[in-house]
Amino acid sequence: MTAVATKDQSDSDPSVDERLVYRGPIQRLLTRPDIGTLVGAVGLFLFFWAVSDVFGIAAGTANYLDVSAGLGIMAVVVSLLMIGGEFDLSAGAMTGATAMLVVLLSKPQGEFGGAGLSLHIAVPLSLLFALGIGYFNATVVERTGLPSFIVTLGSFFTLIGAKLGFAKLFTDKVIVEGLDVAAGYEFWNAFFGATWIRNEHLFASRDLTFAVLLITGSVLTLVGLLELSFTPRRPTRPAGLGVLVVGAAAAAFGLRQLVDTDTVAANWTYGLVVGAGVLVGMAGLGAWKYQPATAVSARGGPNLGRVAMGLVAVAAGCLAAVRLDASSTKVLGFLLTVQGLRAILFVGLVAVGLGMLFGAARRGGSSFFRFVVSMIISAVLVGVAFLVKGESQAVRFRSTAFAVLLLVALVNAGTAWLRLKHLPRNQAEPVADRLGRVLSIGGLLSMFAAVAVRLLFMTQAEVDATRAVITYRISILFFLGSAVVASWILANTKFGSWTFAVGGNKLAARAVGVPAARTKRTLFMTVSGAAWLVGMLLAFRLNSVQANVGDGNEFLYIIAAVVGGNLLTGGYGSAAGGAIGALLMAMSFQGIPFSRWNSDWRFLFLGVILLLAVLANRYVRSKAEETR
Amino acid sequence: MTVPLLELRNVTKYYGNILALRDITTSVNAGEVTCVLGDNGAGKSTFIKIIAGAHQPSEGQLLIDGEEVLFDSPRDALNLGIATVYQDLAVVPLMSVWRNFFLGSEPTKSIGPFRRIDKATASRVAKEELAKMGIDIRDVEQSVGTLSGGERQSVAIARAVYFGAKVLILDEPTSALGVKQSGVVLKYIIEARKRGLGVIFITHNPNHAFPVGDRFLILNRGRSMGDYRKGEVNRDELIRLMAGGAELEALTKELESAAKKDAALAAMAEEFAEEVGQLEERAEH
Amino acid sequence: MKRYRLMGMVLALLLIASACTSDDTTTTAAGATTTAAGASTTVTLVQGSDLTFHMVTHSDDGVFWSVVKKGSEDAAAALGVTMVWNPSVNDPEKQVQDIEAAIAAGSNGLGVSLASPEAVAPAVQKATDAGIPVVTLNSGVNQYKGLGALTHVGQTEIVAGEGAGERFSALGATKVLCARQEQSNIGLEERCTGLANTFGGEVVSEFIGLDVNPDEQEATIAALLQADTDIDAVLGTGPNVAVRAIAAGQAAGREIIIGGFDISTDIIGAIEAGEIAFTVDQQQYVQGYLPIVLLWLFNTNLNTVGGGLPVLTGPGFVDTNNVGQVKTLVEAGTR
Repeated sequence: MTAVATKDQSDSDPSVDERLVYRGPIQRLLTRPDIGTLVGAVGLFLFFWAVSDVFGIAAGTANYLDVSAGLGIMAVVVSLLMIGGEFDLSAGAMTGATAMLVVLLSKPQGEFGGAGLSLHIAVPLSLLFALGIGYFNATVVERTGLPSFIVTLGSFFTLIGAKLGFAKLFTDKVIVEGLDVAAGYEFWNAFFGATWIRNEHLFASRDLTFAVLLITGSVLTLVGLLELSFTPRRPTRPAGLGVLVVGAAAAAFGLRQLVDTDTVAANWTYGLVVGAGVLVGMAGLGAWKYQPATAVSARGGPNLGRVAMGLVAVAAGCLAAVRLDASSTKVLGFLLTVQGLRAILFVGLVAVGLGMLFGAARRGGSSFFRFVVSMIISAVLVGVAFLVKGESQAVRFRSTAFAVLLLVALVNAGTAWLRLKHLPRNQAEPVADRLGRVLSIGGLLSMFAAVAVRLLFMTQAEVDATRAVITYRISILFFLGSAVVASWILANTKFGSWTFAVGGNKLAARAVGVPAARTKRTLFMTVSGAAWLVGMLLAFRLNSVQANVGDGNEFLYIIAAVVGGNLLTGGYGSAAGGAIGALLMAMSFQGIPFSRWNSDWRFLFLGVILLLAVLANRYVRSKAEETR
Repeated sequence: MTVPLLELRNVTKYYGNILALRDITTSVNAGEVTCVLGDNGAGKSTFIKIIAGAHQPSEGQLLIDGEEVLFDSPRDALNLGIATVYQDLAVVPLMSVWRNFFLGSEPTKSIGPFRRIDKATASRVAKEELAKMGIDIRDVEQSVGTLSGGERQSVAIARAVYFGAKVLILDEPTSALGVKQSGVVLKYIIEARKRGLGVIFITHNPNHAFPVGDRFLILNRGRSMGDYRKGEVNRDELIRLMAGGAELEALTKELESAAKKDAALAAMAEEFAEEVGQLEERAEH
Repeated sequence: MKRYRLMGMVLALLLIASACTSDDTTTTAAGATTTAAGASTTVTLVQGSDLTFHMVTHSDDGVFWSVVKKGSEDAAAALGVTMVWNPSVNDPEKQVQDIEAAIAAGSNGLGVSLASPEAVAPAVQKATDAGIPVVTLNSGVNQYKGLGALTHVGQTEIVAGEGAGERFSALGATKVLCARQEQSNIGLEERCTGLANTFGGEVVSEFIGLDVNPDEQEATIAALLQADTDIDAVLGTGPNVAVRAIAAGQAAGREIIIGGFDISTDIIGAIEAGEIAFTVDQQQYVQGYLPIVLLWLFNTNLNTVGGGLPVLTGPGFVDTNNVGQVKTLVEAGTR
């Protein structure tokens, strides 16, 4: 298994190694530790949206984003620390400790009062306290060589005892109140307690902006992905360009008419026009830019069994959807309502069936067989779309799901055609790679912006229709910011490299001059600093802090980090994964009351969801690494 | 007579009341390989720790370029150009090849808070430097853990060479490797020697040491059994000095008689001799 | 030589120490005694101020128990008896040790809270067997009789919940969310059961998150309110839950009637501001006051109170009508 060749054997350009089995950017993306979690989070979102009407709209988003922010800021830094090979079990208690400290320091003096300091002093003081504890943790771990698990467990107990003790000492109660009467409150509240009430910010052309951004984004992403998947043809064939233009024009025209007209017949007609336009456009793109397929040899036998099983699974799922009563909240046995069971059976069986069909389409049989299977997949998607439209009880969900499923079926059919007719990539092509990457990333950003616009702004009509007051807190911005900054640091800076090194093999890292002790100390102080931030956000939100706030949350942070793909033993993982893990957990916590499931079973649901998330993570990674 | 890059004079090390090394004297010159041989328990790991800066000698002197030095930490040794490649602590398995290559000395671009690693340069240089050493890694993005043991050692050696090490200390690099892979590592040792480094090659396998060494230090139970230049000693004598003579002769005789009875064993013995012959040949180029 | 000098010093110190121990001073109790005849156990009645009662509870001397303590202190001062306060801070072992110490010290009466009945019961049994009258308070309404205690002073959760249910009915609610801040806590569940007993409309009982995560509690109540638009009232089984429900109601965008349990500064402020309708108060001052009185009555006049049933101190209600006065009393430490 030696991959090493002697110098005289290889005379190729070192930048393009043709003995490599080509792993395109898409596949490289799929091997990231956090992609599986992302897939799991999206799946969970769709699931809860299907089961509950409110979950998928802004009111629901504001709800679980709020919960995920506090969890997520800590999950991100705990992920960093975990990659560096250490644990901090005092992180949760620290959030409550800094919150309580700032209240105690700034409470007006009196019989049950505090120190009476201005918040301008109290807030930085509490930060110093937090950083001090982080420094202490790091130093003890370094000097004694004890596992950080044990050392920070000690800090954890110290903190919870101190919190209770000091609360009783000062106020004779287990809760400290009165932050809102402290000096300097308005200034700091603008920073930590800022909220954005959506109902007060209206955007009249929101829907138009959303549609434009979404369509542009999807088109760009599609073209980008195709660029990354097919071998470019040199020279390009102008006839193909003509077909592409015709198809695109037809699609645009059909879309325009869909927007303008509203009768059922017109919708159908123009819908078909759009569909045809997209297919023709894709075929044209292929004919213009991509190398035609050479005679392809069959990769193993056609997997008919899998196709059959897949179809059976899908049929079973649809049967469950049709036969089980959608509105029944009758509790089956002890766990689920009929409604919930129906949703689970439908989504689960259809997903499994599609997965099997997809597997059969990827390998085995001639290229024509695979093309046929892909077309079957498209047909199935169309069928499921109509079923969802007809049977789903979540009104807002079903129209969106219908459109999306049809679109996916369309794109899948087009891609299947292209795969039949054109040559897939087997090596790196710098120009096409760059174009594809730029288009895909631009497209994804555009789609993200579309969703953000949709969720962030309301129209007058919506405000009139709902009385709910949708509030976004500044903690969400901090959450997003911390995830982005932490990911950037890990990927692009020396410190990030050192974090991986120190977690992967501390002695080897030290031997090449990485300052291991200093790196770990910085990581510990980052965790306690983030705990200070979360503590401040909490204090300014509630104005009174109970002694046991935050205790026990450290395990949730670690779970979020692990779900996000971080290795418990260190040296590998992703901070963004920790953020997605926190989002996933928050969605699970909040999805349960939204779906009106029995809350007594909430931890069971959480456990199952977490296990599935971790399994999904590993499955996606193993599939992506298969062709290595 | 050139000043040796690294010299030990009468170095002794106690751990409590255990005498790990007693009165060791040896040296390594630029462009030469000094082999430190000894069976298990001979004191080789203590020897490494002293020259790598992890421990200080209890008695005796350590000289770099003729000047006496005292190391406080491995970092001091590193700063003076002494690079150590440990057997299984050479690289971080979960990180990519280029990150491992540049660990601790990453090239950066841009300034201030936006300072980031110049990944393009790092990948390119890593691939080029490895190629110059004769190592053709398929993809420098892949994690080092997917490389074989010999390849990992090679990455560590190439790294040391690139970052201007003057003395390269290799701690039993071939002990866990198969015959072919060991040959590959020996090749890189020769390559490093060609570049003008002084190499200290620690091993308990005289068949690996003999082809590449210019100087041989034999350790037995913490004591030096001799410090020979090449040509002053042959392979069998080396083995005898390492193990303590009589026992091994008896063992050799037993094996030879067994070989006479067992054809397969004899064939193996022959193959073994052939490999060594090839190594000796290559070493002579 | 050094060693002998040291030993000598130590020996001398020991001798001096033993010589310095004080003798036990005995105080004789004065006062007339009357003997009750006819009962299987002979009880010696003592009149006057030479009674010592021991309050052995699982108190943590926090904001709740400090009010109980004040009640006991005030009662003892009013009656001229001695009250010894033994808080065990939720440690049943310590509580058992304190009870046994009280028995050994010849206590005239015990007030015991049965938060951990299985652990503490044997000690209580010992006390009643030794002829010491016992009154249970706060927890133990199902165990007091079997242990031979005179009566139980406290609030039963079911009755408290029933009181809350009547209140909600009177306020015109149609569907109440009973929001619990702990899972598998019998007391909280019983509050919701009581609520369902007397409330005219529907009751939904849900766990909404621990007090450790107040933002999660708020979000969960908001989610429930948005998922079920019929809910127009929330009963928080703790003071923090009720306060969280205010923000949750705003997020859901409709008016909800909120009730809570127990008193805290936040909840008082919210009732004053009209955001919370009422809170159920178990009047823990009385839980400290009455046992002293009952034990005094039994010791001096062989009176029993309750007729075999517990003496209920709640539900008392704090609402907009009396919140102003209650607030002053809370600040004085008696409510």
